[in-house]
Amino acid sequence: MRGHARRGVARRVLGALRVSRFEVKIAVALVVAATLPLFAALVLAGRVAEENLSLGLDPRAVDRLESIPSLYGDLFQARKQLYAEQARAVARGLPRRPAQGAAYLAGALERTPRLRRVAWYAADGRILAEAEAKGESPGGEWREAPARVSLPDGGRLECVFAIEARFFAELGEARTVAELVQGVDALRAEIRRSYVRAFALLLVAWAAIAAALGILIARRTTRRVTALVDATRRLASGDLAVQVDPGRSGDEVAGLARAFNAMVREVRDSRDRIVYLEKISGWQEVARRLAHEIKNPLTPIQLAFQQLEARWREAPGQDAAFGKLLADAGEIVRDEIATLQRLVQEFSGFAKLPEVKAEPADLGEFVDEFVRTSPQIAESAEVAIVKAAGACPVALDRALMRRVLANLCLNAIEASRPARAHIHLGVARTRDRAVLTVADEGPGIHRDVRDRIFDPYFTTKGSGTGLGLAIVKKIVLQHGGDIQAGERPGGGASFAIALPLAAPEAGSDRGEGAAAGEAHA
Amino acid sequence: MIRLRPTALVALALLAARGGRVVATLDLSSAFPTTIERDLGNGLTNVVAAYVTLAPDAGGDPTALFGRVIEILFDVWEETYAVTVKDPQRPEGVRLVLRDFAALRRFLAMEHDVDLGPVSALPEGPFHVDARVEVNPVSKEQLQRTREYIANPAAGTRTAGGTRSVLGAMASFLLREPDSGSDVHLLRSRSFHAREVAVR
Repeated sequence: MRGHARRGVARRVLGALRVSRFEVKIAVALVVAATLPLFAALVLAGRVAEENLSLGLDPRAVDRLESIPSLYGDLFQARKQLYAEQARAVARGLPRRPAQGAAYLAGALERTPRLRRVAWYAADGRILAEAEAKGESPGGEWREAPARVSLPDGGRLECVFAIEARFFAELGEARTVAELVQGVDALRAEIRRSYVRAFALLLVAWAAIAAALGILIARRTTRRVTALVDATRRLASGDLAVQVDPGRSGDEVAGLARAFNAMVREVRDSRDRIVYLEKISGWQEVARRLAHEIKNPLTPIQLAFQQLEARWREAPGQDAAFGKLLADAGEIVRDEIATLQRLVQEFSGFAKLPEVKAEPADLGEFVDEFVRTSPQIAESAEVAIVKAAGACPVALDRALMRRVLANLCLNAIEASRPARAHIHLGVARTRDRAVLTVADEGPGIHRDVRDRIFDPYFTTKGSGTGLGLAIVKKIVLQHGGDIQAGERPGGGASFAIALPLAAPEAGSDRGEGAAAGEAHA
Repeated sequence: MIRLRPTALVALALLAARGGRVVATLDLSSAFPTTIERDLGNGLTNVVAAYVTLAPDAGGDPTALFGRVIEILFDVWEETYAVTVKDPQRPEGVRLVLRDFAALRRFLAMEHDVDLGPVSALPEGPFHVDARVEVNPVSKEQLQRTREYIANPAAGTRTAGGTRSVLGAMASFLLREPDSGSDVHLLRSRSFHAREVAVR
């Protein structure tokens, strides 16, 4: 069981992944549409990357950047020379007596910018005097820049100047940037190529997304087309119950699906109609033969019995009991012959249903006329008519359609007995049909027998031939219409006859489905 | 950027056997003319990579390969050359300071202690030593710095932390090591025989 389930899942997954040719075509179209301009953009991207690199890596700018450390070198050289000169100036002013050296050096510290420390050494290395600046250097953080001056007596003067530490930080930063630019410059061609590669990769990704999107979009359509193809195959194999889901979309495929469904319904209705009419024709033939076979012996039977009765009346015998028996038998035979003659009459009527000769009429007016000219109906039932506001032009055979209405009304009257029947006649119209409903307030038709009540010789009544509704349906079908049995809201049976609308007469009202109308009692 | 011409020159090479291994001393002075003082003293980090192989004259794969990378930075304050030497024996690098360009050139020109594998691996026939000297090739560090830069050019600037570009990040990932370019010198020694390798 589990293996079957797995195989089923695998089949479904494979089915979902299978891409039809139509889907491939749409995906290819989308990919082409989405990526064709991007190929031009790819070439442009390479040019833009190259131009950006050219702008950013202007050889003059790169050269200037690379020369920054040398500039700092020149600055340091200048500072060193300045400090050496300042140290020599301090040395030139040294007093002859070392005892005055400390005061002199302190003064020199005051006078000489950036001089932080100074020491006067004798020839033997002893420190004769020294001084050191207190407090912060005006230039902020600093590094030591020593300057040494040899003195004529063999001694030396050692000065320590302050050089701004920020120069070294700036130099380090400039070197980092210059080396980075140097690297970018060296990799220039590769950088341009890598941008083109990146763009191409994005292009491929974009094409893949476009293809996936295309397949998804196509699949929404192709699935419905595939469903239509499958449904058409089923229809071709004789399945007239097939329908396809048109979905919620309002596109052409949905329209095609709706048209397909309508076509299948039409075919099914036509087939049902043909089947029913063929069946009725068969039963009509049976009825004709039965009527013939029954009718033929009835007259000899009737004549023979009449002769028997005449002979007995001419020469009645002594047997009074026989005379009574003969009288009773005569009554029975006459009743049964009358019944058989009615049956024959009904069979004949059923067998000889005339062809429909339709003529233009308004269904509402026809119903009014039927009620007006059928006093026997009005005597036996309360009849109410509800008509739509507009005209319901149809083509009908008045005589046959009167028979339809009469049969349905008589059924309603019989079903309502012993109570007085209440018959509701309704006339309405849909987009392409005129609908006539005949409803009563009787016990209704049981759901189980609704499908069979139009079959010939099927009846739920104790008496009756079961031909009335069969005749009704045949006449309706011959009008190109349809009849459905159902329930009346509130109780009772309801028959709905749908007839195709005929071309409207000039000046007629085309209002659809309005339920308001006149009511007749 | 130093520009040298890629030519094949004859390098003076001395081969000796030390501890069972062939040790070479190569004269690469032709790769470092005096005119490059201005370039090597520009205050930026310059790199010299030397790759030495020992291969039979008859052709075929080299029997030994040696690589050495030298980083040179001229200190514009101290006016000295700070040199870092990295090779298989000293992968972490050895730092030394050279007082002037003359000292630097002497140092660069003579490659000492070039390990060319065991003596037993020397070819039976004549062989030679090839040296490939690359001046300022793109190093892995430089490649990595450039990758980081193109992935996020704003990093390290006042607008650092800005949006990283997807295209830049992809370009950074797809950035490949370039060809060595034109700053390459190919040098070849004369032919040697195994018997010429003197034992020290």
